[in-house]
Parts: sequence; C-alpha cells; structure tokens
Amino acid sequence: MAEVRQIAIYGKGGIGKSTTTQNLTAGLVEKGQKVMVVGCDPKADSTRLLLGGLAQRTVLDTLREEGDDVDLDSILKEGFGGTRCVESGGPEPGVGCAGRGIITSIGLLEQLGAYTEDLDYVFYDVLGDVVCGGFAMPIREGKAQEIYIVASGEMMALYAANNISKGIARYAKTGGVRLGGIICNSRNVDRELDLLRAFSKELGTKLIYFVPRDNVVQHAEINKKTVIEYKPESNQAQEYRNLAEAVMNNTDLVIPTPMTQEKLEEILSEFGLMADDYQI
Amino acid sequence: MSINLNISAVEMRDKRLGAITSYHGDAQTLLELSEDKKVPVTTRSYSQCSACSEGCAATLTYYVRGAAIVAHAPIGCDAQIASQNYAAKAASINRHIEEIHAIKFLSTNIKEKDTIYGGLEKLRNAIQEAYDRFNPEVIFVTSSCASGIVGDDIESVADEKESELGIPIVPIFCEGFKSRVWTTGFDAAYHGILRKIVKDPKKKQENLVNIFNFQGIPSFNDLLGKLGLIPNYLIPMATVKQLEEMSEAAISVHMCETLGTYVSAVLEEKYGVPEVKAPAPFGIKWTDEWLRAVAKATGKSDLVENLIESEHKKIEKELAEVREKLKGKKVYVYAGDSFAHSIGNLVQDLGMTLVGMTTLHHDQKVDNENKERLNTLKNLIDERGNIPEFSVCNQQPYEVIKILRRLKPDFMIARHQGLTPLGTKLGIPTINEGDVNASVGYEGLVNLGKRIIEAGRTSKFEQNIAKHAKFPYSKWWLDEEPDPFYFERENKAK
Repeated sequence: MAEVRQIAIYGKGGIGKSTTTQNLTAGLVEKGQKVMVVGCDPKADSTRLLLGGLAQRTVLDTLREEGDDVDLDSILKEGFGGTRCVESGGPEPGVGCAGRGIITSIGLLEQLGAYTEDLDYVFYDVLGDVVCGGFAMPIREGKAQEIYIVASGEMMALYAANNISKGIARYAKTGGVRLGGIICNSRNVDRELDLLRAFSKELGTKLIYFVPRDNVVQHAEINKKTVIEYKPESNQAQEYRNLAEAVMNNTDLVIPTPMTQEKLEEILSEFGLMADDYQI
Repeated sequence: MSINLNISAVEMRDKRLGAITSYHGDAQTLLELSEDKKVPVTTRSYSQCSACSEGCAATLTYYVRGAAIVAHAPIGCDAQIASQNYAAKAASINRHIEEIHAIKFLSTNIKEKDTIYGGLEKLRNAIQEAYDRFNPEVIFVTSSCASGIVGDDIESVADEKESELGIPIVPIFCEGFKSRVWTTGFDAAYHGILRKIVKDPKKKQENLVNIFNFQGIPSFNDLLGKLGLIPNYLIPMATVKQLEEMSEAAISVHMCETLGTYVSAVLEEKYGVPEVKAPAPFGIKWTDEWLRAVAKATGKSDLVENLIESEHKKIEKELAEVREKLKGKKVYVYAGDSFAHSIGNLVQDLGMTLVGMTTLHHDQKVDNENKERLNTLKNLIDERGNIPEFSVCNQQPYEVIKILRRLKPDFMIARHQGLTPLGTKLGIPTINEGDVNASVGYEGLVNLGKRIIEAGRTSKFEQNIAKHAKFPYSKWWLDEEPDPFYFERENKAK
C-alpha cells in the first residue's frame, strides 16, 4: 500500500482555500480515495461543505470541555463520500494564541491515532498567511510533505504566495516538505493564466490547475455542499474532478525559489498589473 | 532619563542603561568604555544557570505588608516561594515587626489550554480569590514568559478588577525573556508601584528618608536617628501606606545604586524628592560623605560633624585591631553591580588587598541625569585605584571556579548564597554577604571585619573540604584550558 499523502493547502486569506480543498476532496473520494481533512483555522469552517454545515465540535473545544481524555470519535466526523473531517478550532478573535492551538491540536490527533494506514490523503487547510510557528505546524517534519498554494491573478495573492514559499523553502532545508504547485482560483482578471504560469515558473514550480470562476460555487456554498455534490453534472464539477486528477498524478515536487520583491513586481508589471489603469 | 509612567512596562535596562552581563579586563577600561556606552556586548555560548526578571520583581513585591500577589504564570516560575516566605519570617524578626509577615500569594498556574484560549478568565478569578482570601490593600499581578508570548491583556483585567474591588491592582510586566539582565525586574516592580500606589504628596515629611534596600536588618536607624531623621525602609517589609507616602519624603537614599537608581530618579523628577548624590554608606570615607550629603539635604548640617567625630571615636580602637589582623589578606568579591563596588571599598578600608572582583551585571549608565557620585564603579576607582582583575558574569560557577583557582584569594565575599559553597570547596573561607544592610555605616565596617576574621578561623575546615571536593567539570576545563572566559562570544546577531 502506498504511503498516505499529507498535503497542506496555503494561500492568502479569502482566496478560496477551504472551498477549493473541499471540492478537490470531493473529486478524490469520487475516485475511491480515502481522505481526511484537518481544518487549521480558528473559525472552524474548513469542513462545512463536506459535512453539510458547521456540525463539527472542534478538537480544542472538546479538549477544553472534556479535559485531556478526549475520544477520537467525538472530534472526527464523517462527511461527503466517507471523508473524515476534523476541525482544530481555536480561541475567539483577539485572545489567546491560535498558533499554539494548532500545535496542540495536531499533536493530539497524532496521539489519538487519527492518521490510520488506510488513508490515501490527509489535507490541512491552513488559515491565511503563515504568521507564526504554529501555522507552520502542518509543514514541519513528519507532517505534510506536499504543499499547494491557492492563488489568483491579483497582486496581493501573489505576494502572499511568494511569502508562503519562503516558509516552505525554510522547512524544506531540514525536512522533506516540497511545493507541489500553484492552484489558480480564477478571479477573471486580464491575462490571469499567463501571469500565473510565469509566476509559477519563476517560483520553480508549475501551475497545476486553473479553476475558472463560476457562480455555481457560490450556490453550492449557500447550500452547504461541494459543487460535486450539489451539481454533479455541471462544468464546474468536472473542473474540480480534473483538479483532483491533476493532484493525484502530480509527482513534480520541488523546493521553491522565492523571488525578490523587485522580481515579483517586474513580473506583475510585465503582465499589466502595475499599469496605471489596473483594476481588479 | 527616559521615564514614562503612562506606559505600562518599564524600559529595559539593556537599552536604558546599556546593561551587560559579560566583560573581562580591568575596571578602568570598563569605566571608560561605559562613558559612551561602548562596552562590546558579548554572550556566553554556554550557561550553567540563570535567573529572570520575574524573580527580582517577586523579591520586592512579595514582602509588601498588606499586599497580595497574583502571578500570572506557570506554577514553576514561583518555585522560590517557600524560601522567600522563610526569609519573610526572618525579616519580620530582624525588623521587630510584631505580626510575622507571611507572603500572600496565588498563581494562576497557566497551562497549555490557557496558552491557547488565553488565561484572562483564570486571572480574573485569581484576583478575586486573592481579594476574598487575603483582604489585601493592593494586589500585584506579575506577568510571565507564557502570558507575554500569548499576549494576555493583563492591564485591562487589572483595570477592570480595580474599579470593581476599589483597591489598586498593580500589573508588573516582568517577562523573563525580554531583558538579559534580571535586575530589570526591580525596575518593573518600582514602575508598577509608582504608577498605581504612590500618591501625590499631601504634605512634606521633612524628616522622612526613603531607603531603597532589601529585607535586611534596620542598620540605618542609628545614624539617621542621631540626625533626627526617620527611615522609610522600602520596598520589602514596608506597609502599603509607606509606599503611598514615599513622594512626601525629604530625600531618597539606597544601599545599592543598582537596586534603587530607577525609583529614586523618578521620585526626584516627578515629586522633587532629591536622590542623595553620594556613595552608599560603606566604609569610613563614604559614610562620612553620605552623612554630610544627607544632612545637607535635610537641613541637619549643624549636627553632622559632631556625629561623624563621635562615631569615628567609637569604633577607633576596634577598627585598628581588625585592620591589623586583616592587613594584606587577599580577597575576591562577587556581588551585584554597585553592591560589589561597595564591598570592594569596605575590604580595602579594612586593609585587605582586593585581588579581583566580579559583578553580576554592569550598567553603563545611571538613571539620574545628575549622576555625579552615583557612578559607583567610578567612585571605587577614584577612591582605591584600578582593579586589574575585573569581570562581569551572571553567576556562572564554571567561570568563577577558574578565576578563584588562578587568583588564590585568602577570602571570598559573595552576595548570593549559591556561590559561597564554591569558595568552600576550593578551600577558601567565604562570607555570604546575604544581608546587604549588615555592613552599613561605621559599625558595619567593623562588623564585616570581625566576620571575615571569624571565617578565617575555620580555614582548616575549608582546606579539609577542598581535599575531598569533586567538581563536575572535565580535566580539560579545570586544568588545560587557561581562559575562564573561553565561552564568551561577540554577539553577532544584533
């Protein structure tokens, strides 16, 4: 049996990491893969589409309420297509330390034996930027070996992706973590595909898939479902199946080569983003 | 100086005073480099032990009579509580305080869950519990590394409980990782006290003298009493009322500039309570100078010359005897910054030869801008000349052992009891100068001399111990490597 592929999804806040991760997961389970999704965001909304709502008790809430003697069944729920869903959870905004929470939570999942041998994939859906050591927990030694960054043709999304690559490059030196590629969650900006390809190339990786923009994603979200579950026949459902296929077949894992601010701006400028009439 | 009581945390000594924890060379060079804050900052690549700011903040606040302390920390941070409580009992007896002082202390015992969700609810409950259980006049809340890293907003909980309970709730920001010099914790405690407890003066108490010291014996009573002055011993063992009224005092003095310089400077700047600009009263000449400065600032100059004369006479005979016995004996001194300088003056006043000195840290600057005669290292060099064997070391026994083996002193005087066994194991009669008030004034000098002579009487015992003592160091470190400062490194990461 092949080893479980542990994958972390990073990207700028609001870029669509959770939506992409869950739709990708749905694509994988359709193909018979066994997947666990670990939400690493204090908002605990990384598994909403798979579970049909925020039905999940988080690891940290359970730990707080029930003490150290936590039962795995109480924090692990089964969602769409047999996906195993876990939410790390965390403190209310403005108090405590969410990064510390992720460290504790993942440590607890390991102790409880959540990482079973029959799993093909574990996905970590991590909040926003890698602001501190806690948010880098999923890519430390022995955790996720493979990372995908969700980005779009917007300037700030690419700044963030470049920054995240710096974090990956740091951990790649000591551990086995590698960048699997960039997933574009399209915002329909001009020359987006060209820009993302050029950006990926400069990072030493590739654009693994370009997910077009489609309103059905919003409709599915309102209905608390992945697109594959909500409109299995839609074009967008097929796009996510293709994304799943691309990830499954991807063996091209690299240590990224983050670029300087100047180089990044040069690329942006080449593709028209820095021009005076630039508009999102 | 940079005082700002609107800011909750005191500015660290590292930055404020250019405090350092390692140096070796001669005293004069250190003094000259300090003039422009030019002493190179080095670190040790190996440390055996350390302390932190929270410990120093505790050393002052634990002993305030009428106060309770809530440590917002993991329980281990306050492991010293039992020995401190013991010291509080001893201090109560020394100070003739009727009700034996027991430290009123609670810890929030921050655990992993609290680092994730924040520990403020626990802190709120602990403050309430301290209030209900101890009925205190004030509650100190000390921070810790853990609460600092997760960013618990101690200040707003303190403010909230303060308006609810109607007593001062005094946050003291003393996270251990922030400063390389643990004495920053003293400043942190004073800062909190100055912000929340000290009141604007209602009247001037013209005979009141603030004395910044630890919980030692009340050795200032005699001399100050003879000038008609009233000592206000601060901070340990003082009542909350004494703290409130320090702004009404005529002057501030200290037994150690390292300990008292921040608070005295603030009192001078904010309330016009002058800090006496004279060396602390250790040794004949410094006590003379100190008394004259105190008398001048309090309008007692007419009394002081007679006092000095009669005090000199009183100890004359005994001092001569002591000096005769100690003449030329070699002594090594190890203590906190300014206090070490004062002991250095004392032992040379006794006719001993100071073969070396190590201070726990070194402040390159003094808080008070009008710093003449407050620079204790300068005072010592001016008085007694350069010290060729001078080092700064934050209590690393592995370093001290090599210095002692090289200098081979007849005696060692150490302020901290953790270091005295080291002298004993090397066969050196060693004095633990734990009560920093013990050697104050004319009688203090004679008494120190007597204690040193007494320690010398047991030298056979120390020699016997030395024959059997084993050290945990390798042969290389003990016998082959010549440099005690081998592990000091230039601090490249600025």
